[in-house]
Amino acid sequence: MQIIWDGLFVGSFYALIALGYSMVYGIIKLLNFAHGDIYMLGAFIGFVMLTSMGGLPGALSIGALLVVLLASMVLTGGAGVLIERFAYRPLRKAPRLAVLITAVGVSFTLQYGVSAIMGPNPRSYPVRLEGDVFDILGARISLPQVLLMAIAAILMVSLNTYIQKTSTGRAMRSISLDMKGSLLMGINVNSVITRTFFIGSALAGAAGVMSGAYYGKIDFMMGFLIGLKAFTAAVIGGIGNIQGAMLGGLVLGLLEAFGASVFGGEWRDVFSFVVLILFLTLRPTGILGERVTERV
Amino acid sequence: MRISKRSTMLLGVATAMLLATSGCSNGLLAGDSSGSADTGTVKLAMVVPISGPSAPTGEYMQNAAQLAVDEINKAGGVLDGRQLELLVEDEACDAQQGVASANKAVSAGAVVSVGGYCSGATLPQLPIFAEANVPMIIPAANSQDLVKQGLKNVFLVNGTGNQQSTAALKYMLKSGVTSVALVDDNDSYAVDITAETKRLIEDDGAVTVALSTSVTPGESDYSAAVRDIMSANPELVYWTGYYQEGGLIINQLRNAGFEGKIMVADGSVDASISTIAGANAEGVLATMTQTPDTLEGGGDWIASYEDAFGSAPGPFSLQSYDAVRLAAHAIDEAGSTDGDAIIAALEAVDGFKMFSGPLTFTAEHTLSSGGFVILSVQDGAFALEDALS
Repeated sequence: MQIIWDGLFVGSFYALIALGYSMVYGIIKLLNFAHGDIYMLGAFIGFVMLTSMGGLPGALSIGALLVVLLASMVLTGGAGVLIERFAYRPLRKAPRLAVLITAVGVSFTLQYGVSAIMGPNPRSYPVRLEGDVFDILGARISLPQVLLMAIAAILMVSLNTYIQKTSTGRAMRSISLDMKGSLLMGINVNSVITRTFFIGSALAGAAGVMSGAYYGKIDFMMGFLIGLKAFTAAVIGGIGNIQGAMLGGLVLGLLEAFGASVFGGEWRDVFSFVVLILFLTLRPTGILGERVTERV
Repeated sequence: MRISKRSTMLLGVATAMLLATSGCSNGLLAGDSSGSADTGTVKLAMVVPISGPSAPTGEYMQNAAQLAVDEINKAGGVLDGRQLELLVEDEACDAQQGVASANKAVSAGAVVSVGGYCSGATLPQLPIFAEANVPMIIPAANSQDLVKQGLKNVFLVNGTGNQQSTAALKYMLKSGVTSVALVDDNDSYAVDITAETKRLIEDDGAVTVALSTSVTPGESDYSAAVRDIMSANPELVYWTGYYQEGGLIINQLRNAGFEGKIMVADGSVDASISTIAGANAEGVLATMTQTPDTLEGGGDWIASYEDAFGSAPGPFSLQSYDAVRLAAHAIDEAGSTDGDAIIAALEAVDGFKMFSGPLTFTAEHTLSSGGFVILSVQDGAFALEDALS
């Protein structure tokens, strides 16, 4: 039980970040390697805001955290939009490899920019989520974990509704099918791409703040490994597919948890990435990859 | 892996940082190095992490070394008035970067190397300095692998993994612990200590190893390791990796309800461990050589460090300071900057006064007495718990 719970918890972080990878890939076929660093950026924006508020009494801190979460989402979303506007849009017609390298460049810019401004030392969050721990079927589950899972679930459900039900969502889906066609149909492609970057980056920013508040430690390299993991999750789920990214995140979290407990901690990543390779060999489109018509 | 892929990109950033730092150290030196330009400076190379996750420690080491260089220069330098010059290069805790920096230092004419923090990045530098016949006084890196190379130019002034493991076992026996879990981060240095501790424990027989596992550095969630530890239920957990992950693991272990002792190795001895783990870090033990805070009479030294750099010294500041002093001593004794003469002088050192006690090298070029003690976190800072004497 504990294994499943831990796996789902980590998996929900992967899923939130994987969504951004998947959405961007779905629309402009770009692996946005700077995405993990947006997560890092979100954690640092939250850190700066919480620190500047100073000490808060315990009851207020949850509320403050939610406000900071929303504000960070807006700011990281904005950062995502700026990155798209200045780094990716000028290269829209360039070979895909050029954009990919640009993404790597953006990633370094963010990492070492934050390192230069905030220093290379790890920082610890001024507000720490702490709460009661209770046993459910033998698993230790803490209140903050439940809270964070709930926030992640709300964000993912609302995103899904947005994409399935609204006209912008429809536009996103149509662009992912045929960009030129959509343009001819009168869809403002640039504005939709901007929105995609905003949403994806905001989700990663939310994950960053949540991670900071829960684990307590943030540093400028924190986005690198989790970015790779989220990318893996997106591929497992079927890259370009929204539900796939969510599912892939949870699956990867569970795989890691099982891998660690069956083979030991040192084999965990070996196990997870062997599964990734198997997936790519046997089913390159991922778990939900066949639903090509729904690609976003 | 997390850094090696990026080493080429790191280079640019590292160079930029180097420019910034060397700029300010020139400023410090400018006052007293003017008269000796005709005889030329004696160059000491210091390859330490200036970028990447271990950058804070690199700064502690670099500053302390600079402090020693400034003091020696003020007192007349080495070899009858030649000034010392510290060449700081970035190792970034990365093998490729370390090699590039070592080559750079050698071609810049370094006479002695006084750097080396991450064992994984220091190891590949050994052959480069050996080929150039540059003696290495390594202040921090202490993997057994460094000793195993059997190179005559390599001297370790930090206790080795072996000595650290001995201290760890000594404490376990002393405190009556009967089962332990060993956790490392897959780094050469950490694995070295875990393996050595495991071997010593099994030879001794009084303590059992309930679990030996590894985690991936750079993540935030270590619930898998925590779960394994909880089910193995040891009386003591010994973490041998660095402090960033250490702080998280301590926090997550305590939050999961672990009530046994937690001990960390010297890579985790940093004030940040209590900011990361908060109150959960209280009482955490550490195997460590003396730090300025725990050392009697270290106060004056800390004050002069703070005067010079405006911040407090940290882990391995003492060793780096001593490494420079030792290098200067050996150059003076050798009477030249010739590698073989300096090596001979280092081997002949007998009872050189250092912070960790009088220094004499063993035949393997390690410290004859390791000087490891047990520290514990009290009110958010590491303090002496048990001198193990």
